[in-house]
Amino acid sequence: MSEPELRVGVFICHCGLNIAGTVDCERVAKYALNLPDVAYAVDLLFACSDDGQENIKQAIREYSLNRVVVASCTPRTHEPVFRACVEEAGLNRYLYDQVNLREHVSWVHMDDHDLATMKAEELIAMAVERVKYLEPLERKAVDVIQSAAVIGGGVAGISAALDLANAGFETHLIESRPTIGGQMALLDKVFPQNDCAICILGPIMSKVGQHPKINLMTYSELDSVDGYVGNFRLKVRKKSPYINYDKCNGCGDCEKACPVSVKNDYEFGLATRRAAYRPFPQAVPNKYTIDKRGTSACKIACPAHVNVQAFIILLKEERFDEALEIYRKSSPFAGTLGRVCTNPCQLECERGKYDESVSIRNLHRFLADYEREAGEIKIDPIVPNKKKAKKPIAIVGAGPAGLACAYDLVREGYSVTVFEARKKAGGLLRYGIPEYRLPRDILDDEIGIIKKLGVTIKTGSKIESIEELRSQGFKAIFVGTGAPGSRKMNIKGENAKGVHHALAFLDKVNSGKTVEIGRNVAVIGGGNAAIDAARTARRLGAKKVTIVYRRSREEMPAISSEIDAAEEEGVKIALLANPVEVIEKNKQVSGMKCVRMKLGKPDDTGRRRPIPIPDSEFKMSVDNVIIAIGQEVTADALLTQLEPTMWGSLEVNPVTLQTNMKGVFGGGAVVLGGGGTVVEAVAAGKEAAKSIDRYLKDEDLLEGREEYLKPIENIEIDGSIKMSYAPVMRTLSKSKRTTSFGEVELGFKEAVALAEAERCLSCGVCCECEKCVEACKLEAVDHSLQDEIVELNIGTIIVATGFKVHDPIETREFGYGTFENVITNAQLERLTNAAGPTQGKPYRPSDHTVPKRVAFVQCVGSRDRRFNQDYCCYIGCENSLKQAIQIKEKYPKTEVTVYAMDIRTHGLGYEGLYRRAREKGVVVVKGRPSEIEEDPETKSLVVLAEDLYTGARLETTTDLVVLATALLPNDNTAELARKLKVSTGEYGFLMEAHPKLRPVDSFQDGVFLAGAVLGPMDIPKAVAYGKGAAAGAQALMAPGVFYVEPIYAEIDTERCFDCDLCTDLCPYFAITGTGEERRVMFELCQGCGTCAAACPKNAIDMRHYRKQQIIPQILAAASVRGELIP
Amino acid sequence: MTRKRFEPKIVAFTCNWCSYGGADLAGISRIQHPPNAKVIRLMCSGRVDPVMVIEAFKGGADGVMVTGCHPGDCHYATGNYRTQVRFDALQMAMKTMGLHPDRLKLLWASASEGQQWAEGITEMTESIRLLGPSPLKAGGAGK
Repeated sequence: MSEPELRVGVFICHCGLNIAGTVDCERVAKYALNLPDVAYAVDLLFACSDDGQENIKQAIREYSLNRVVVASCTPRTHEPVFRACVEEAGLNRYLYDQVNLREHVSWVHMDDHDLATMKAEELIAMAVERVKYLEPLERKAVDVIQSAAVIGGGVAGISAALDLANAGFETHLIESRPTIGGQMALLDKVFPQNDCAICILGPIMSKVGQHPKINLMTYSELDSVDGYVGNFRLKVRKKSPYINYDKCNGCGDCEKACPVSVKNDYEFGLATRRAAYRPFPQAVPNKYTIDKRGTSACKIACPAHVNVQAFIILLKEERFDEALEIYRKSSPFAGTLGRVCTNPCQLECERGKYDESVSIRNLHRFLADYEREAGEIKIDPIVPNKKKAKKPIAIVGAGPAGLACAYDLVREGYSVTVFEARKKAGGLLRYGIPEYRLPRDILDDEIGIIKKLGVTIKTGSKIESIEELRSQGFKAIFVGTGAPGSRKMNIKGENAKGVHHALAFLDKVNSGKTVEIGRNVAVIGGGNAAIDAARTARRLGAKKVTIVYRRSREEMPAISSEIDAAEEEGVKIALLANPVEVIEKNKQVSGMKCVRMKLGKPDDTGRRRPIPIPDSEFKMSVDNVIIAIGQEVTADALLTQLEPTMWGSLEVNPVTLQTNMKGVFGGGAVVLGGGGTVVEAVAAGKEAAKSIDRYLKDEDLLEGREEYLKPIENIEIDGSIKMSYAPVMRTLSKSKRTTSFGEVELGFKEAVALAEAERCLSCGVCCECEKCVEACKLEAVDHSLQDEIVELNIGTIIVATGFKVHDPIETREFGYGTFENVITNAQLERLTNAAGPTQGKPYRPSDHTVPKRVAFVQCVGSRDRRFNQDYCCYIGCENSLKQAIQIKEKYPKTEVTVYAMDIRTHGLGYEGLYRRAREKGVVVVKGRPSEIEEDPETKSLVVLAEDLYTGARLETTTDLVVLATALLPNDNTAELARKLKVSTGEYGFLMEAHPKLRPVDSFQDGVFLAGAVLGPMDIPKAVAYGKGAAAGAQALMAPGVFYVEPIYAEIDTERCFDCDLCTDLCPYFAITGTGEERRVMFELCQGCGTCAAACPKNAIDMRHYRKQQIIPQILAAASVRGELIP
Repeated sequence: MTRKRFEPKIVAFTCNWCSYGGADLAGISRIQHPPNAKVIRLMCSGRVDPVMVIEAFKGGADGVMVTGCHPGDCHYATGNYRTQVRFDALQMAMKTMGLHPDRLKLLWASASEGQQWAEGITEMTESIRLLGPSPLKAGGAGK
């Protein structure tokens, strides 16, 4: 160091009595003067006052001080003040250090003046040690981009944006909702003048919409922030409104066509809205938005991706034809699958996580049944596409896969011929599934749909080879020949007379052949075929039917309602047993030897593996054994030239379903080897249809094929949904069930179906029924629009994301959510609003009458320690008084009582509001109600309270109770704070840099805070904050440069050995290059020092926080005087 | 005044954003706590080089506290994750240095957690008081 001599000056501030009341400042000053290198020390009454600063400056000059320590309050507020003071005296501003005697000493050690004074001395000794090693530094100037972003378009954000824009700064206003206006736009009247909220806000909103300097980004959210003061880079996600705003004229035709109805947050749940909606008539921009949360879990789970939510919603709206039309976009089998589907959709149904899944399968069955009952199925043939029809397609096998493939292709305009070896089309649906589950007229009708569309089905024509079809001119072929073979058990006696294999058995019965069945039948297996065989055997006259299954009931793959139905019909189920031998008598079955099983560890399928228990054999005497342990592909199901897998099924590409031969595709049971379900076969047929279409168009089979169905992330089920369960379907009487093949399940009646549809949560909100597409004359609706990420380069950020109102539904306070006539003040605001759900009539929800008695309960959720919400909501009292006056003005005879701990009407004008309310006869009771009870008949409420002034216990009946609820931080405030690197306070609101003097600044340079994101405030205050933040941002941007603290890392490349640890650790990617080129980009470096602490070679050091500056301070802290205090 | 009791010397590293603010809030809220911790303000807890902790003990500190923002809330995004890693390594080295592991403590306190700050300091002071003076300094007889 070239400096000649260290001369430290120490200034100890009394801060009036704040410090001096506890710390003996004079003694501290004397102590400091004795420290080495201290040339001057003095105590001052107020160091930060003009006088105090003048004293410091004079001392610096007089005593030639070259280092300064001020021991006063927190450097978080006063460091800049004293640095400036030091600088004015001609000393470099970084040759200064501050000791915090107030927050860290005098205010926290008030009870021991001696120890506090001693600690003050020690802290000063530490600072003196540190200050000796400080070096002069120069602040770096960075250019400031002359543009700002305002996050949040409520009244605070709007005010900020307008001021910035009017001052000439490019301003981006980012709002997460589809309109600006925030909470104020939802209010009816604003106190104390009680003028109309939207009337005064509306014009300002439209000014924002039209301002040439404001880039309004509604329905947009902040994705990420990087950069630094003056040079922030924001990534903003513009959520897709699925409507082209350039074309939309706000006519609302889409809203009228939309069948979805969901809770309307803009009406605080008092009304519903459509998925295509505009929040309110004065919305800016005046455009519609489609609220689409993703694809519902049911649709994703359905292998055929049937648009479940759409058909259920249209069903709910009694638009049955349209609902069925939606179903038939995916598959022709609404009635068939409505009976036999294993409904994977219902397993994923969100409602199932709450109470019970919606009976999706029964609902599409209802649609099909309804249509049949109403008359014939209305299907118009498809007009073939001339170009496509030149490339005919052959489908081998008229099972569910082949038919589904044909159905999709014919609707694309292709010419399709289906070849079926059997006498009738339907495959397993006809020859496998018994009639009592699937009446054949239903199946025939739905196969009829495919025929009506123009598909040729040639039954009784067996295809042997691909060549055969190619020679007939077919350009593409789908093989869906199924798996008609039954798997063998390979046990002794399996070939005896009286042993059947399930598929062959069902085939015979379903083809109308006679099958002899004895009195006593055993069915082996736990799948649907086993249940079908057992129930069929009962119908053929077997008296005792026993299903023998080797695992437990939980593992049975059959549809559980089918198992129940079998048991209802008298079928017994023997679990954890497995046959080892069929006992023969004269080549005829006489019994079965079985072994008992236990369950071991789960196998690949996740089911527990059955293990035989040694020496547990037992005999059953039976007349017939039906083996139903699975299907397999028979040799003739594979056409010649096609390659099988090692298991004998058809080998196909898992994505394109193409076989080893180009243009030949396969799907369904022939590929799955018999393990799949009907809906999986349908899905495979559809997938193959997609491939065939691509193949015939000469397109790549793979490219861009995977359609990503985005699952819904946040599904809100609030307490307002009442628990309910799916209805039980009517069934055929038990006596008829064992004697006939009449259909067992009788379907839903219309009223039941409507009620069941009502249970759908509409979790995707938009169901993609595309009714809006049809309705929009301007062709503005586009369901393929994607979210867009917009990058903004800006100089300053103003955060004005506001608050949320406390929803007492979770705590059910005062019966809210249980008693209909207990509402919140936000809801009342909507009720009194002419644009609200009741056109301004404050009707009580239960009977839509004007209440004759209204009670307001104040501080619901506010000033409440139970929820860590012990702060005042700031507006509740005035708001209730305003609402009380409104009611009194409209209905002077209505009695209004306000129950409050205190009425707080602060500031100008608000006391007048209180007086006006009382003059109009509003009664204020001091005291919070202890309880509210409902009269179940009248739905009126009894308020139990104590009047704290008179001590009287009150029990008052009232018609409507209004809860004045708390204001809370928004749900995303914490996440936003993290992105912006600003702090949140105790209650989760954002925290200002200083509660008194820097109310709109954050600790992050260039980030300003405005409005209720800081805590509850009323409108004028929010506006003032908005304007204040705008002024702060302008003051920062206007000079064009900003001086950043010169606290950043430095690298000594001579020491560096290129381990790259610093590069990896730096959160700002500020360290670049290698070897001699390695350097720190100071604009990016924020000065955290993580790199310096990590550097194994001590090659990095932090300016102003150098190791040789910190360590002396540490040593001073550790060693000052002895630890034994005399 | 003739008191003679062991007053531990605690060096407390704070970050500028969270824990220093928490200490300030304890002051603003007048939450009384023992005067034994001497705060050294750094920009981030990630600046705390293990060498600094070792120097503190070598210099005679009876206890060292490293304090910062809660994980996930670091003003510098990830600095305090490194703090945790370094703290864990240091904690393992404590025995090697002949020190009780309780002499080194990590405290996460946000700028709104004055109460937590005061409680953390109180607990640390009390636990070191029980351990006695650091064995690394002259006359130190503690664990």
